[in-house]
Amino acid sequence: MTAVDYLNLLISALLLAGIYAAMAVGMTVIYGVMKIVNLAHAGFLMLGAYFAYELFNRFHINPVVGAVLALPFFFLFGMGVHWLLVRWLPKSDTPTLSSLLLMFGFWQVLQNVGYLVWGTEAYSILTPLTISSLRMGQISVPKVSLVVFAAAVVSLVLLQVIMNRSWFGRSMRSVIQNPYAAQIVGVDDEKTARLSFALGTAFAGFAGGLLALLYPFTPDFGPPFLLRSFVIIVLGGLESVSGVALGALILALTETFSINVPFPWYSHGWTSYYLPASYQPAVSFVLLVVALLVLPKGIAGLLEKKWRTA
Amino acid sequence: MADGMKPSRALLGRLLKVFLPLLLLIILAVLPQAGLSANLMRLLFITAVWTIASLGWNLLGGLAGQVSFGFAVFYGLGAYTTALMINAGRSPYFALLGSAAIAVLASFLIGLPTFRLRGPYFAIATIGVGEATRVIMNNLDFSGGASGYRIIEHGTFQPVAHYYTALGAAALAVGVSSIVAGSKFGLALRAIKQDQDAAAAVGVNPYLCKLWVHAVAAALTGIAGGIYARYAAFIYPGGVFAFQTSISILLMPVIGGIGTVWGAVLGGVIFGIVEEELVVNFPNIHLLLYGSLLILIILFEPDGLVGLLRRVARRFRRRSEDSGSSNPDEVLWGRSRLEGREL
Amino acid sequence: MSSSSLVKRIKSLAVLTLLVAVLGVIGATAQDEIKIGVVLPTTGAEAKAGQYQKEGVELAIKQINAKGGIYVKEKKKKLPIKEVFYDDGTDQAKSSSLAERAMTSDNVTAMIGGYSTPLGEAESVMPDRHQTPWITAGAAATSIFSRGYKYTFGALSPIFQLGFTTAEFLGSLVDQGKLKKGLKVAMVVENTDHGVDYVNGIQDWIKKHPGYFEVVLNEKFEYKATDFSAVLQKIKTAKADIFLSDAHLPDYITMQRQYLQAGLHHQVISYGARGPEADARKALGAGTDYILAALWWSDKLPYPQAQKFVTDYKAAYGRPPDSWYAATAYDAMRILAQAIEQAGTLNKTKIRDVLAKTELKGSLLPGQVLKFGPTGQAGYPFLVTQNKPDNKVDIVYPKDAATGPPVAPIP
Repeated sequence: MTAVDYLNLLISALLLAGIYAAMAVGMTVIYGVMKIVNLAHAGFLMLGAYFAYELFNRFHINPVVGAVLALPFFFLFGMGVHWLLVRWLPKSDTPTLSSLLLMFGFWQVLQNVGYLVWGTEAYSILTPLTISSLRMGQISVPKVSLVVFAAAVVSLVLLQVIMNRSWFGRSMRSVIQNPYAAQIVGVDDEKTARLSFALGTAFAGFAGGLLALLYPFTPDFGPPFLLRSFVIIVLGGLESVSGVALGALILALTETFSINVPFPWYSHGWTSYYLPASYQPAVSFVLLVVALLVLPKGIAGLLEKKWRTA
Repeated sequence: MADGMKPSRALLGRLLKVFLPLLLLIILAVLPQAGLSANLMRLLFITAVWTIASLGWNLLGGLAGQVSFGFAVFYGLGAYTTALMINAGRSPYFALLGSAAIAVLASFLIGLPTFRLRGPYFAIATIGVGEATRVIMNNLDFSGGASGYRIIEHGTFQPVAHYYTALGAAALAVGVSSIVAGSKFGLALRAIKQDQDAAAAVGVNPYLCKLWVHAVAAALTGIAGGIYARYAAFIYPGGVFAFQTSISILLMPVIGGIGTVWGAVLGGVIFGIVEEELVVNFPNIHLLLYGSLLILIILFEPDGLVGLLRRVARRFRRRSEDSGSSNPDEVLWGRSRLEGREL
Repeated sequence: MSSSSLVKRIKSLAVLTLLVAVLGVIGATAQDEIKIGVVLPTTGAEAKAGQYQKEGVELAIKQINAKGGIYVKEKKKKLPIKEVFYDDGTDQAKSSSLAERAMTSDNVTAMIGGYSTPLGEAESVMPDRHQTPWITAGAAATSIFSRGYKYTFGALSPIFQLGFTTAEFLGSLVDQGKLKKGLKVAMVVENTDHGVDYVNGIQDWIKKHPGYFEVVLNEKFEYKATDFSAVLQKIKTAKADIFLSDAHLPDYITMQRQYLQAGLHHQVISYGARGPEADARKALGAGTDYILAALWWSDKLPYPQAQKFVTDYKAAYGRPPDSWYAATAYDAMRILAQAIEQAGTLNKTKIRDVLAKTELKGSLLPGQVLKFGPTGQAGYPFLVTQNKPDNKVDIVYPKDAATGPPVAPIP
């Protein structure tokens, strides 16, 4: 493999990381504040994708704009879901089985709604942008991926700003750190929970809209993204937003390079062995397990420790 | 037994506890002779298989409180082991033993590293293990890879033999679960579920206990997979190792009533019979119904159907006795098994 | 445990047992109709194709019933067909279970089902077990038919042949001078029986014709994967001239999209049995131009019966048949009806015997005859189609069915 090939791989890994980060952020917010592992995240991604599609198809709205429009729409939707279902869950500072199962049930319902409304077709969004690439010598970068990457980065920055600069962000962070202490200092945890859930849902819808630009989607669109989100959140630290970016980067790099980089292997003499492409998903999962065992608080937790002792 | 109960009533209760399941077993065993339709036999068979897996998961997840999302690993390994052994000429019952053994081995391999993790981390790790196993199995050639593996059937199909195997194994699973639940080991598991550190403080070794119950749970689930494989004669990784399968195995005891033996059985019944009827009669909305059922259970009766029945019974009893005394179960195990409990 | 809660428990269990017993009671089977079981996925990953196959079967049933049904000599009258349909949700366990239900509880005379190989494999255990004839119009892996089963029939020619025909066609391009000799081939196929058979077919042809092509990459990807960027990178590194893949519809769309985004280019591209699907055209537009596909049927076939089928299908469903899915299912139902009529009875074993020998003349499929081979699998020739610009599709092979010239290398 030449240097150019490596560069191409790196670039596609980076772009992939952007997408993964956008997709995982919604889940992190909800987990951090409410300690709910949101399995319905897959359903929100799917709805976000269809939302962007419908806006594109009916009103000819640019899908990126559509994804941005998904933010307020899904924010309200998330508030509604919280009010209807989530607020009845028992509060806890660790995840409960009930929350897991509730969100799973809700996901099934969302899937079925998807089937009823849109049928079994695989929808895609086709714009002139979709298959065009930016060519720089031997390196080609798909334009859509760039757009999605940019949007993802912007959304992460936005979230970070909200978390650090706004009242709401501050209450969110305090609840993430210690919900009981937060209540003592006067944070309305019910309101914070509702807004956080809404925010997480909004980002999920946004990510879904972005994903619609890249992949075809059907109502059972969620599971591979859901599982990857898990890996990212664990890698990045279950409670850290900037950790998500890091986790996404690691996952994307691992997935991309694991099957393209030769490992030395001894079999009648030293040869280089390429991991067969079909093992690629296993890599992410093994990574997940290793990360859990070795770095229970994720990479961000490790860094945090370093900072604290410094 | 609670105070205020007459000794004869206690005896009656105990007798019913043992006698009733035996009666049910005898009825089920005799049904084929009394002319059971092929379709009903098939449904009962599926129910029995699911019940075994459900009881297995319940031991780890319900009693010990360690929620695993990766039980498909044991189900699948059990299925493949039985399939491979039958094709190699072994008797199916010996093959089932092999399935249990392999599942137990796998449970140690998985449990040794992951039981050091707590709460959600353990659950997520099990997801990782489950999916990694599926992908690896997809790539192994000797077991057919992603194309799946087929058992070569000799002789005519004997549905009754499959039925009795499943029924026997289900009875075994109920027996094992009851014994574990009622034993000192079971008590230790419940202590771990409530508060692992407190349990350790009073002399329980959580790590070892978790490993052992994991082994028993895996063995039962492996047997379920083996029985299924023998019946279906074709298995493939995308089916028996699927994440969906892990979820199904988890959902059964939760819907039926997590932590209780009868809850796990009820969950198996629901999966075996109700799910198929839902799919058949409401093909377009079965996911919706299924999800809604789950949501309703979580919101209104986290203890599953058993909890629901208990509540009804309590209301019944309160009307007749008006004792106002609290349910001894409540005192021992808190208001709800599911609610507010750590993963 | 208190006794009255126990009593409640007993009562509920008894009710449940009764419920189970009641559910198992089979409704009285009407004797004046022929029940045909159909188990196909209309939800889940293969819902699209499953839906099309269902439509094909139902169109045939409608047309047969419009004429009064199938004449059964034993009953001395025409009996209408009643379809017993179950959606298996692309789940293999459900598929085999529902097939068994159709054969035992509903007591169907015969079954059509099994779209996509794993579901077909799962269902194929049941026909011999319950001695009910079963035809699949959607599963073509040879392994289903190499077990000595007597009641399984496949209306699709083997995938091995599909790969072989593709390679044969490419070889003919070399002979015509459109492609140079000795080109490098990269094969990346889905990790299933389908993919494996396909690769074997291609490699078999290449081996028999040395010097034509050289295989430089032979890998499998996970079926239903979402992201192929890493795989495509491997393909890029292989620096091949020809890219051959075998995938199901969703993977085809995703992979081709990412292929284009990665700026890849080869002289020939094929995705096995996928190519002209409407969804793909809609999703990628000009990005699917010049893709080859080896298919069991195409709506461009010039046979009058094929064109009549296209017209009837359009009238019934408001859109033309997409790719080959509905056509093979349609003819599977027709050959089944023919076999029942020729057998003159609803006896399943006799119908099976007739199915093994009968020929459906005037079939829509290439060759115009549908006949099951000794293993139960049909063996008619494949078509190779190529997507052309402006949403057109041409049949480019074999010569006598061609509607347009092949374009190679891809501009």
